[in-house]
Amino acid sequence: MTKPVEVVTSSEGEVFDVELEIDILKENRRLADENKRRLEANGVHAIDVMGSVGSGKTSLIKKMISRLKDRFRIAVIEGDVTTTIDSDLIASEGVPTVQVNTGKECHLDANLIRKALDRMPLNKLDLIFIENVGNLICPAEFPLGSDRRLVVISVTEGPYMVLKHPMMFLGANVVAINKVDLAEAMEVDPAKLSAHVAKLNPKAATVHTSCRNGTGIEGVINALGFTTG
Amino acid sequence: MHEFTIASSIVEALLDLAREQGSSKVLKVHLRIGKLRALSIEQVKFSYDILAKGTALEGSSLTVEESAGSVRCPSCSYHGEFNPDDLSFHFGVPPLLCPQCGNSLSIDGGDECVITKVRMLASTAKEGTPERELVG
Repeated sequence: MTKPVEVVTSSEGEVFDVELEIDILKENRRLADENKRRLEANGVHAIDVMGSVGSGKTSLIKKMISRLKDRFRIAVIEGDVTTTIDSDLIASEGVPTVQVNTGKECHLDANLIRKALDRMPLNKLDLIFIENVGNLICPAEFPLGSDRRLVVISVTEGPYMVLKHPMMFLGANVVAINKVDLAEAMEVDPAKLSAHVAKLNPKAATVHTSCRNGTGIEGVINALGFTTG
Repeated sequence: MHEFTIASSIVEALLDLAREQGSSKVLKVHLRIGKLRALSIEQVKFSYDILAKGTALEGSSLTVEESAGSVRCPSCSYHGEFNPDDLSFHFGVPPLLCPQCGNSLSIDGGDECVITKVRMLASTAKEGTPERELVG
């Protein structure tokens, strides 16, 4: 806790003021740094996967796992408000999953990830996917300690998803624009969505994907810095 | 959307502070919240009042000062205030682009959430250490 800048001494029953700077978000940042150090010490890469509800985060993670699991020891942390549906889906790929149900929260935070990491054999892992709660607002504000951030949106959400949620894309390393097989039916141009991302965050790599026909899955893997060999 | 979580952290930090300072009653709390932090002040206050019930914070007043957002452009070194409350800002679609050169901006202020000042009552010795327990 921050030390008070000024304390006015008072007798009992008197009113006194304390001037200080207690940063409410510092604790999450501190825990995120701690998670990051812990992952690095074990040589584990962690990818925070964020995106709207139903954009295809789980499907994309599944597709990536099936291509990477022969080369890397992978585990998944599944964040949801409730149910184990996503971790059951992921478990079908044969990798260990830890389900984190936030109950009332709209995002994962560094403390929940710390607890999830406690339950994982970190020295026996190379790569952890952290699937955040489906939401394009809150997760941007809570770093978890991952070394890469992947944001997943889809053409079915319409043409303005990027422009309407600038904060989410500012911190992204890779953006997947998913369900491009439906682009024509949706009358949404994926290239325009990519252009919006490039304008907001020129450093982010953008990949067009379809989990149904496999388009772009390799591309996302490569953009995240991995190869399928 | 996560005002309840933030209000919980604020309440926790204040209860720790009151304990440190030996006070059993907090009267007034000042916060500074940046305009670029996605927090609704009304909802923070609403959650705070609920969470304060039954604690040393019950009945305390919460004053929130909003700090301006500020941005910097890495391309043309534009530096200026950035105000999501200003309607004209929302017409400059997409936001977070430099008004001077149109490239992407970085945020360099106005995304904080900080407790800045707390007024509390110095506790009276009678509370917590009743004399009769010391006798005998």
